Amino acid sequence: MTGQHGQPAAAPALDPGYVVATESCLPEHVGNVGGKAVGLGSLLRAGQRVAASFVVTAGAYRDYVSAGARGLSPAMRDAIGDSYLALCDRRGAEVTVAVRSSATIEDSTEASCAGQFRTYLGASGVEEVLEQVERCWIAAFEPQVGSYRAARQIEAADDGLAVIVQELVDARAAGVMFTQHPRTGDRSLVVIESSYGLGEAVVGGEVTPDLFEVNRITGSVHDSRIGAKPFEHRLAPDGRSVLTLPVDDGRQRAWSIGEEQVMALLALARDLEAKLGRGLDVEWAIGSIAGMAGEPALFTLQVRPITAGTGRPAAPGPNVDAVGHILDRLASRRPGDQAP
Amino acid sequence: MNQGQRFFRSPFDIQTPPGAEGWESMYPSYLLFNDELRERDEQKLWFFDQMHNPEPLYPFDLMMPESWLVSLNQYTTRVWNLPTALGIEHRIVNGYLYLSPNVIDDPAMAAEREPVFLERARHYFDNWDDIYDNWVAKAEDCIARLKAIRFEPLPEREPTETVLGHRGTTTAFDLLTTYSRYLENMHEMAYYHFEMLNLSYGAYLTFLEFCKGHFPAITDDMVARMVAGIDVILYRPDAELRRLAARAVELGVGGALKSGAAPDAVVAQLRESDAGRQWLDELEAVKDPWFYYSTGSGYCHAKRAWIDDMRPPFAALADYVGRVERGEDLSRPLEALREERERLAGGYRDLLDEGDAAAFDGLLALARQVFPFVENHNFYVEHWHHSIFFNKARELGAVLVAAGLLDADDDIFFLHRYEVYQVLYEAEARWALGVPTRSEHTWRAEVARRRRIYAALEKWNPPPALGVPPETVTEPITVTLFGINSDTIDRWLAAEGADGTGDSFAGLAVSPGVAEGVARVVRQVEELDELIDGEILVCPLTAPSWSIVFARIAAAVSDGGGIMSHAAIVSREYRLPAVAATGVGTQVVHTGDRLRVDGNTGVVTILERAGVATARAAGA
Repeated sequence: MTGQHGQPAAAPALDPGYVVATESCLPEHVGNVGGKAVGLGSLLRAGQRVAASFVVTAGAYRDYVSAGARGLSPAMRDAIGDSYLALCDRRGAEVTVAVRSSATIEDSTEASCAGQFRTYLGASGVEEVLEQVERCWIAAFEPQVGSYRAARQIEAADDGLAVIVQELVDARAAGVMFTQHPRTGDRSLVVIESSYGLGEAVVGGEVTPDLFEVNRITGSVHDSRIGAKPFEHRLAPDGRSVLTLPVDDGRQRAWSIGEEQVMALLALARDLEAKLGRGLDVEWAIGSIAGMAGEPALFTLQVRPITAGTGRPAAPGPNVDAVGHILDRLASRRPGDQAP
Repeated sequence: MNQGQRFFRSPFDIQTPPGAEGWESMYPSYLLFNDELRERDEQKLWFFDQMHNPEPLYPFDLMMPESWLVSLNQYTTRVWNLPTALGIEHRIVNGYLYLSPNVIDDPAMAAEREPVFLERARHYFDNWDDIYDNWVAKAEDCIARLKAIRFEPLPEREPTETVLGHRGTTTAFDLLTTYSRYLENMHEMAYYHFEMLNLSYGAYLTFLEFCKGHFPAITDDMVARMVAGIDVILYRPDAELRRLAARAVELGVGGALKSGAAPDAVVAQLRESDAGRQWLDELEAVKDPWFYYSTGSGYCHAKRAWIDDMRPPFAALADYVGRVERGEDLSRPLEALREERERLAGGYRDLLDEGDAAAFDGLLALARQVFPFVENHNFYVEHWHHSIFFNKARELGAVLVAAGLLDADDDIFFLHRYEVYQVLYEAEARWALGVPTRSEHTWRAEVARRRRIYAALEKWNPPPALGVPPETVTEPITVTLFGINSDTIDRWLAAEGADGTGDSFAGLAVSPGVAEGVARVVRQVEELDELIDGEILVCPLTAPSWSIVFARIAAAVSDGGGIMSHAAIVSREYRLPAVAATGVGTQVVHTGDRLRVDGNTGVVTILERAGVATARAAGA
């Protein structure tokens, strides 16, 4: 999917690499494909159920900017358009996609530059997809972004912007999951936040999600709290746009996901940690994709390491045996890790 | 009272309840708050020992706290030389026992004690299993010597053998020396009680704190389930009942046990058939020692053991027989319990990094090594030994009744053990003189007065704490045994601030799950008869021999107790939500209130007051 079709036959050019397959995105490619694509790549290689996607590289963005930001070149249009049509071919239908900016520098930058990174939900058809990719690019070099970056002394040449084009899961419920407690670092807990509709409502902090803290060893719910979910983002019936719909009182008072889904998420957390390591921050959705048969399924949309620090006590020194540990505790009135 | 203020009522501001005037005269002056130490005592925390003595202290029963005061505290202060702890003090307030831990603040003193402590404590840990085996032998020997003690009424005249054997001394002298031996035996057992307990709790607490450090959300219950023994003596009495129920069904005599008749009537009916007699033989075979099982903490003579009052075990048998007949297998699934224990421990360990996992393994192994002592000492000491101890006191009481000094065998419990020396001397003197003395009027009148005072004290609700709490409570015995830590203090302060009328209160979450139901406040084991299936038991403290009830209740809430208390262990066994150490449950909740008990968070919510529900039922 490197978009060679449409290059003038008489002048076979080097593959400009405007588009790459998400599966091939490795951590060392982060500068070209962005952190989100690296996370998605690891999910795909781990065999997870992930909505299909491709990545428009930072290289494409740089060429676009250095050409004066005067529209997409034919090579870009072909590369992106062909990749989109390949997604459609897989489903045998015109698919609706999400088009998202993906920072190629630290992930946290995305949060601190919030607003300059863009997500468009519900693009369909080649022209709309191309338009939304370009809008992501434009958002990235708007004046305030430039000055912000200048202030942070980040050289423009070193960064770029990747864009992910991904099938949109028509989520009935979606949210985030931490495979350990994000604040205390407690590894025995899996923390799930969930709301109705597309996950943007949770990720963007638009609603107070339902919360589940699940003990991963016993599978029992350690704590849960019903959220406030006055609206949801859903795909329109024609599948071509996203609507924001009110949630009626009855559903607001109900849990957005049931016990079975909580358990499925717990299983997903275990599975992801086994393959990708500990301490993951996961975006997930339960829903279906246009052209996909059968019941709604659980999709992993995104995964990244939890970055927040944890307050775990240091391991005892190698020379402290268990008896020594106990004697130390009994000998001191103020133990170092006195439990609450 | 003072919301936001960090102190409780002063022990010097407590009023005597009406009718209890003069209560102080029942107790030795060294156990009362006294103006000489007022300045010091007012600045300390004093917490109510609901766990061991939920009722007002009977003067004779003071033998228990007075012996543990010296044995436990000698171990802390003089034997182990814990670097930062001294003894736990006692005071009596309106008949109830209050305790106050002491810590060593002086770093130089702590430093001086530390090497002594480390060397001595390590010796015990390093030789734990051998010391424990020897401990069992000592405990059993101590019990055997107690059993052998006999108090017999003074004879009309000294037996001929005294003369023919040229003894020189008399049976009256024997009575006095036997009494001394009897008290010494109790004292001796108290030492064994604490010989290994501080260190056991230390090992358990260290593992608990390690787990909480790494898994802040882990519940005390979860840690207990990883550590608890599977095949421990503490469960044997209940296990014997389950087995006897199955045997009764096999022998075809289950009907008599299910009849609900009084134990004597059931036994009489069973005697009429061969199968019934066979079953009774099997019952007799397990009574000693397994029915030496107190319905209380073992610290109060009024809470009888099964062997003395067969109603609790027979009530349990009636329930168990019905369950066996319905095809239930009552035996404990030991293999499944073992697997669960390993699965939980393995699950947590696998979440730790390598070095931490090794520390976890070491601490868990030690916690498990010490835990048989924690669980089993309770049967040997509080149930088996102390049940016999109180029965021997009744025997002595009968001697004093025969001597004409008391009206009833259990009058003796209204006399302090040192007063009993005086009464014994007077009995000996009357026997020597052969003429009436004033003593009989003096002691009978005194016991009658004390009975009236005691009844008035029983009506008083002791507050969970008095005085000024320290900033933090971390002393191992206070935390582990009494379930009191800085959080407990905060809850009590909040409860006192809210004057106990809040909609919810909190305690320790000791057994997981959530249940809603109607409350039944039960203060005495006898009141359990009133309990209706599915109710929530609210009590000062549950004892394991209330097990009959655990099969029928929806949840348990106790004022006292901790994660290691009997109530917690039995609730987990029965998979009931349970909250312990609320401090205020029996004061705040009334029978008939609708409650929600959250055994995961320790919060008890009063959903609806009894009056409201009744008014609605009446058609309002």
